[in-house]
Amino acid sequence: MSSHDSDADATPDSSDEQPSLGRRDFVKAAAGIGAVAAASNATFDLDPSSLWTDDDDHGVGTAYGEYDADDVLYTTCGQCNTFCPIEVRLADESGDGPYSSLVRKLAGNPYSFLNTQPFAQVPYGSDPEDVATGDLEGTGDVDTARWSLSGGRMCLKGQAGIQTAFDSYRVRKPMKRVGPRGSGEWRTISWEQAIEEIVEGDDELGHPGIRDVWAYAPEDEVMSDWEAVQNGDLERSEFDERYEDVLIDTDHPDLGPKANRIVDVGGFRRNFVRTRLWHQGLGSINSHHHAGTCGSSSVMGNVRSYAGQKKRQYPDVENCEYLLVWGTNPMVANKGPTWLAPKLTNAIQDGMRMDVVDPRLSKTAEKAEKWVPVDPGSDAALAMGMARWIVEHDRHDVEYLRNPAEPAAADDGEPTWSDATHLVLVDEEAAPKARAADLDLETAGGGDGDEFVVVDATTGEPVPASEADEGVLDVELTIDGRRVKSAWALYRERVFEYTLEEYAEMAGVSVADVAELADEFTSHGKRSAIMAYRGPAKHSNGFYTQRAIATLQHLIGNYDWKGGQITPYAGFATTTGRYDLGTVPDGYEPWGIPIVRGGVSYEETTLFDRDDGYPAKRPWFPVAPPHEVQELYASASDEYPYSIGALFIRPYSNNHVMAVAGGDEIPDVLTDEDAIPLVVAADTVIGDTSQYADYVLPEPTYLERWENFGTYPNKRLADEKISQPTVKVVPDARPFEEVLIDVWKRMDLPGVGEDAILDADGESWPLHRAEDFYLKLVANVAYDGDPVADASDEELAVFRNAHEKGLGEHFDLERWRAAVRDEEWRKVVTVLNRGGRFEEPVEDYEEAFAEHGYDYDYADRYGDRSNAYDGEHMRYKLGSRVNFYSEVVATGKHSYTGERFDPLPRVDDVRHYDESVQVPVVSEDAPDRPLQLINWKPRTQGMTRTHNSPWLRETRPENPLWINPRDAEERGIENGDAIEIDAGRRTVEATAMVTNGIRPGVVGTMWGWGRTGDGATAQTVDGSTREPVDRYGHTPYEFDTPTREEAGYAKGRDAGFAVNHLQPLDAELGDAGMSDLVGGSNAQFDASVEVCKRGDDE
Amino acid sequence: MSDPESVGDFREPTPESSGRPADVSPRDPAFLRARSRVYALLAAALDGDVDTLEEAIADGTFDRLSALVPDEADVDLEPLLEETYDADALSIGYDNLFVVPGPHYVPPFASAHATDPSEEFESDSRYHDAGEAGELLGDPAAAMARRYERVGFTPAHGDGIPDHVAAILEFLAVLADAEARHRARGDAETAAALCDLQRETLVDLGWLDAFHAAVAERDAREGVFAALVALVRTVAAWDVRVGVG
Repeated sequence: MSSHDSDADATPDSSDEQPSLGRRDFVKAAAGIGAVAAASNATFDLDPSSLWTDDDDHGVGTAYGEYDADDVLYTTCGQCNTFCPIEVRLADESGDGPYSSLVRKLAGNPYSFLNTQPFAQVPYGSDPEDVATGDLEGTGDVDTARWSLSGGRMCLKGQAGIQTAFDSYRVRKPMKRVGPRGSGEWRTISWEQAIEEIVEGDDELGHPGIRDVWAYAPEDEVMSDWEAVQNGDLERSEFDERYEDVLIDTDHPDLGPKANRIVDVGGFRRNFVRTRLWHQGLGSINSHHHAGTCGSSSVMGNVRSYAGQKKRQYPDVENCEYLLVWGTNPMVANKGPTWLAPKLTNAIQDGMRMDVVDPRLSKTAEKAEKWVPVDPGSDAALAMGMARWIVEHDRHDVEYLRNPAEPAAADDGEPTWSDATHLVLVDEEAAPKARAADLDLETAGGGDGDEFVVVDATTGEPVPASEADEGVLDVELTIDGRRVKSAWALYRERVFEYTLEEYAEMAGVSVADVAELADEFTSHGKRSAIMAYRGPAKHSNGFYTQRAIATLQHLIGNYDWKGGQITPYAGFATTTGRYDLGTVPDGYEPWGIPIVRGGVSYEETTLFDRDDGYPAKRPWFPVAPPHEVQELYASASDEYPYSIGALFIRPYSNNHVMAVAGGDEIPDVLTDEDAIPLVVAADTVIGDTSQYADYVLPEPTYLERWENFGTYPNKRLADEKISQPTVKVVPDARPFEEVLIDVWKRMDLPGVGEDAILDADGESWPLHRAEDFYLKLVANVAYDGDPVADASDEELAVFRNAHEKGLGEHFDLERWRAAVRDEEWRKVVTVLNRGGRFEEPVEDYEEAFAEHGYDYDYADRYGDRSNAYDGEHMRYKLGSRVNFYSEVVATGKHSYTGERFDPLPRVDDVRHYDESVQVPVVSEDAPDRPLQLINWKPRTQGMTRTHNSPWLRETRPENPLWINPRDAEERGIENGDAIEIDAGRRTVEATAMVTNGIRPGVVGTMWGWGRTGDGATAQTVDGSTREPVDRYGHTPYEFDTPTREEAGYAKGRDAGFAVNHLQPLDAELGDAGMSDLVGGSNAQFDASVEVCKRGDDE
Repeated sequence: MSDPESVGDFREPTPESSGRPADVSPRDPAFLRARSRVYALLAAALDGDVDTLEEAIADGTFDRLSALVPDEADVDLEPLLEETYDADALSIGYDNLFVVPGPHYVPPFASAHATDPSEEFESDSRYHDAGEAGELLGDPAAAMARRYERVGFTPAHGDGIPDHVAAILEFLAVLADAEARHRARGDAETAAALCDLQRETLVDLGWLDAFHAAVAERDAREGVFAALVALVRTVAAWDVRVGVG
């Protein structure tokens, strides 16, 4: 068995001669040292059992030297939304399956700073051969350290991606349902038939084709005629005749063209499917992503808090002294596992204090200095309580807040400034901020009067903001008869509406805890920051809560400071540069009211009069983008504001039956052919949502297709990730965008086929295949700024060999080459050979890396050469105004009450559409049941998309319900007991996990369990029934009775319960979950439940 | 297990061509216990246990072991063959050589003598030139720690430094003793795995050459520890060729 090749050079070189002593002599020589031996530790009780768990050391392989760059392809992980850059190590032997190549393993991409933490990435110019083999100087010595940077960091979910791609439940051919929707019976059809029936309709199923559904006319033409009708210049009958085949409803032309009745719901490939094909190719406004079921309210709470683009809250971890993590779990999620987790733990080790606000003890809270288990839904009270303490104790940065505009901020060395001193016209409609022209102020330099106004601290006079060095914070006065207050005065009044004690009581924490957080947060100058995401935001009051959290940071002005709050959206150009990919020549311009009613004010539509004003039939989201997909299905059923003709879903990242609160209501709509006549799903498996489609089209998994996933602004450097096909597992799977190209061609729509893409010289290029688009995108990336180096001949060979090995006959080198100009090809290869483009931490990095190797903080220690820092500031900056007061928010009105939204942060109850209370915060109402049910993403699952992996299901076979011992004891429940969870409208069975790791009064569980798709239930294809997945055993360990042990087994894919199916339905709507009308999110943490022990016989 | 050792037991190896009588099997428990005792003695002696060292010098143990050293080898074991030493003097000598950083200090652990240091890092330590010897807890320490972990072993010797020569010798003593017990009870598979672990540990002892050279240079006057390290180096070299089979 010995795999240790005795290296003679490594043994002590005492002598090359034959030894003079044999073993028998040795025994004799040692005979006299019994006493010494007895005194030694030689009878130590070893445990040799672990010698059997691996052939060699624990999990440390010895096969590190066996592959080279020809065996490696770089792409992006799709197992969760972190989207790590990864490498695919292709298998040497690929058997005789239909796939092009097996995958031996997946690992992080060492070229990327995202996956090499806590170390430094390899220089971008490093030879792929050296990197693949681990032979790159300075990247660890694989022979002694048993590791090297040949593979970067990857989480367990990512490693299990092989099982996503090679899932035996993959959809292999286009399938058409047999019998009613959701019957679980299918027959396979050809791609040609699928496309023909989707376009032209099908009598057998009785559905229309999208050719019948589609029609388009430009907005200006239609609305100009509509105006003529209103003015009496055009007969109404003529208008109707002109547009009855084009508009959804000639009584309501603002609904837009019939093209809008063709709806796309998918998560990604946005610049291709949404921008190019749906918007400009089809002219439909209805292409929506997952934001409503995700963190939309958090994102919008941030968006409305900044004039510049800032959607998320992240610290500069490396230099942060105090980090307050709020309702997010970066050790596990939120772009965390591979990237933030090592950075955070290192920062803590280096002295950073981290406190965590979360109702449960998350993996991040476990590592916190202080865990603050806030009452879910009342986070705003905690934030506002902190604000009150900070202001009362003069701990806010007054100098920062008094800077009225960029010039004054720049003088203070502040990259950002706030609106604290800006005046608001408090008595005017929607209470906008005053502009210079409003108050008849002259602008020096002849501005357009659009500047904000402040009271100059030196003169006491109102002036345009840029003309004051310092503004007055507290202002309340009347100028020319118009009453104004400063944003600070309004914010301060709001903060002081409740006492600290009242805030603490609402938040369910002690006054001392509020004070401690506020004190600590304001004790580190600019090196203090908050990281917050879904926890506080996914309630129907989430937007205002996020505003309260964001504005806390305005108080210390930590933006763009080293160690403070960072906003680097730095990347490389993707759709512009060498090729203009975002513009379709002669494309349509989408218009009208989105089916989910985002970004439109109800009052301004023709429906307002039709429906007698308030309340509107269903929610509108006037100040949020139109991605409230939680409303999509019930809206289709209600035909509000119009009916859907055809729905295209890509459930790999939009599995709404599982992901939407109240998703259990969705199948009723999807199975109603009157509600949605045609449903087409592009999916990798027959999923929880796609099982209700008329057609399921086989999609490639993320390892098999192109993509350009974004990176969140939690990084110091620029990057752009490129996904490329690495293997072909299902030969007939086609990326959805490629299917759409064929559909669009058949309908003669713009944006596809010949002359679909223009390059920078105005020459046109065809779009027939996905690579025609994505290779041009890669060229744009390669040439942005300083272009990347050309690939050498050796790199070209590596590129060809690796792709031929991975994709086999599905790789057509000449076709790929022809997608870009000849002179661009070598740069394209450079980028693809590295899976994207990753900025290096310092200038002349290769030289620095040669000196210091992988374990060195270049960005921090190289002064002016740093690409991350600009002195004490971040190099990539927000560099804009930050808003206490959002006048945009106040332009929107609640579509039930007609009341204006609040421009300030506020504390509120968690309310239904009709304003009835689900979770009381400021009110005293009692919830229906005593326990509040929350949920979280587990460490071991990305989303429902990863449940197909038995490796991952082994780690947590089901989702127990966390319950505090105090609550458990009251109910006679012990750890492991079978329990019943009663959510009112629904009751499910579960297992109790009694733990102090969750706040009393709150219960919670991991989401994603309780599946009905992806092999959780039987499906019949071409008369052959595929049974659901049973429990699965996969373990390398040999226990006492092989195949009989209970540990280490994955349960079926249907294990556990679906937490989103316990969420309350909106009290007014009754057919969908609750929504935050300001931020757009679906409320997902607000179910009130009771829990009881199930009978012993169950 | 494909290891041929797993099917063998105490079979005698084929007599060597020299015509000498068949030697004891390397798998013979008696031989394994002898190896264990020798390593235990050397571990104690190199961990500053001067009483044990003094006793072993006095009772002729080192004299008997010196036969391991080939006649041609230029190794001076004479100081270990003296009959009496003062324990205090030995203790001071040990501390000066292996404990207290100073003019006579020689780090008694592998990382310090690695020819390929695990990493470069900035350090103003006079005992560590970047990229050269002097490192503490480098890759060799990690490698040893992993080996200890595999069998749940915690060294009593070596001051908590996993690649301290005394810790490694103690580990070898423990492994050899455990192998002896598994051989005796017929558990050839476990014994073979333990043997592999000893072999693996022994082949990583190349650093003892550099260690010996450094000790010989700094322990020129008394020479007891220089001789002791020479003996360790000799035993290890002998063992890897003859002992672990």
